Amino acid sequence: MKKLPLFGLLFMLIIGCNAPKKKDDVALTSTPQRGYTTQKVVNNLDNPWGMTWLPDGSMLITEKDGRLIHFNEGQKTEIQNVPKVYNRGQGGLLDIALHPNYQENGWLYITYASEEGEGSGGNTKLSRAKLNGDALVQIEDLYKATPNTTRGQHFGSRIEFDTDGFLYFTIGERGERDVNPQDITRDGGKVYRLHDDGSIPKSNPFVGTEGLDAIFTYGNRNPQGMALHPTTGELWIHEHGPKGGDEINILEKGANYGWPVISYGVNYSGTSFTDITEKEGMKQPIYYWTPSIAPCGMDFVTSDNYPDWKGHLLVGSLKFNYVELVKLEGTKVIDREKIAEDIGRVRNVKEAPDGYIYIAVEGDGIYKVVPN
Amino acid sequence: MKQILLLLTVALMAAACNDSEKKKSIKIGSVQISEESEKQTPLQASMERGGMVYTDFCMQCHLANGKGVPGNFPPLAGSNWLTEKRTESIHAVKFGQKGEIEVNGVTYNGVMVPMGLSDQEVADVMNYIMNNWGNKQETMVTEAEVAKIKE
Repeated sequence: MKKLPLFGLLFMLIIGCNAPKKKDDVALTSTPQRGYTTQKVVNNLDNPWGMTWLPDGSMLITEKDGRLIHFNEGQKTEIQNVPKVYNRGQGGLLDIALHPNYQENGWLYITYASEEGEGSGGNTKLSRAKLNGDALVQIEDLYKATPNTTRGQHFGSRIEFDTDGFLYFTIGERGERDVNPQDITRDGGKVYRLHDDGSIPKSNPFVGTEGLDAIFTYGNRNPQGMALHPTTGELWIHEHGPKGGDEINILEKGANYGWPVISYGVNYSGTSFTDITEKEGMKQPIYYWTPSIAPCGMDFVTSDNYPDWKGHLLVGSLKFNYVELVKLEGTKVIDREKIAEDIGRVRNVKEAPDGYIYIAVEGDGIYKVVPN
Repeated sequence: MKQILLLLTVALMAAACNDSEKKKSIKIGSVQISEESEKQTPLQASMERGGMVYTDFCMQCHLANGKGVPGNFPPLAGSNWLTEKRTESIHAVKFGQKGEIEVNGVTYNGVMVPMGLSDQEVADVMNYIMNNWGNKQETMVTEAEVAKIKE
């Protein structure tokens, strides 16, 4: 009898000592014959965090260091009057998005790390503004997370509108894993939902409770990808895990995604911070990556330019220098394909209104994916 | 006899496991304020602050054990670049690093974006990485030395 627990201990030790690996994973494949080429369309960018397209087809590109670049017919123009950003660690000028009715109202939205408010350091902020010539005007501050902190990590932040016109944006847990994500009275480790003018939708899950009114979901770690599903209208995000446990999640009002109570990842040091991967009341990801790919940027393919990819999900990998085509059957991941292999640290991937996929690469520029 | 053997195996494995875990573990979160802090040398104090900076800004890529990711993020542990190219190393932490470098005979062609650290933080994290994971560099990096290095 005494032997049994001993064997058990031995078994646990063997398991514990091994580096984390995901069992029965969907294999990642490289296509032997590529049906596309990548063409560089924008040169000499440092850290192109966000990109969007104006109605005339020209691009707006955010550089993390605080510059907003208008790229039109091969020419870069720096937009003036951009709010001051806190450029430190993962923080800086982050995402940019146009209002769904941009042509009528001219509003564009940016997220950035800001030092505004009390305390040293910074936290994520959402503003909107209009473009007048080469300058931002009518800047309105819509949300600023507190408190400021000098921690360098996990600012989020992606912006996306849903089909009802709600605005969603993400803020990571700012390096305070055990303080922020599970506390709905604090900022960080959350996805937020606002009206387009920054006001709080009455239907938000924590309105009338002690929780922050702007919160839509919590228990998130650091979401740097968000996309609107083209047919279901749901918002999908992915978030960085620590070492292992990067996740794809579908947003549900008021849901708790479990960070750091449940996780498929371990500390960067290899030690564990939780023993459980599931718990009642906490959402399971629809997919998780172990080892981590460091996902950044995300979009669904809707264009007929890529018949084999249509309906599937693109995710950039900062760590392994490619874009992953996550093939879906409903919400189930059935296949994973490497595209644009070795392109560099992928900061963003998006399908533009022109029906082409664009890939933004750190220390390089922006590429267009052209089918052969 | 069999039981003893088994016990021994378990004990050995536990020791091995613990050992490697301990070596790898680095502090996460707030600075530990020890009673001995008064006795800390300036280098030790700098390294302690540098450990915090490392956790926040470097560990995601270079990992807690300083080994990096082969072919992707160069190692800091046992890195010849770090010992032979002091100025370039400080420059890389202060202003970022781009383009080909050769570390321990392996060519890396990646991008490290500038982190926005203060000169003091650059000095602290340099002292941490130069004196950790078996690395040892006697001459301490100071804030003044970092300040002198221009883009």
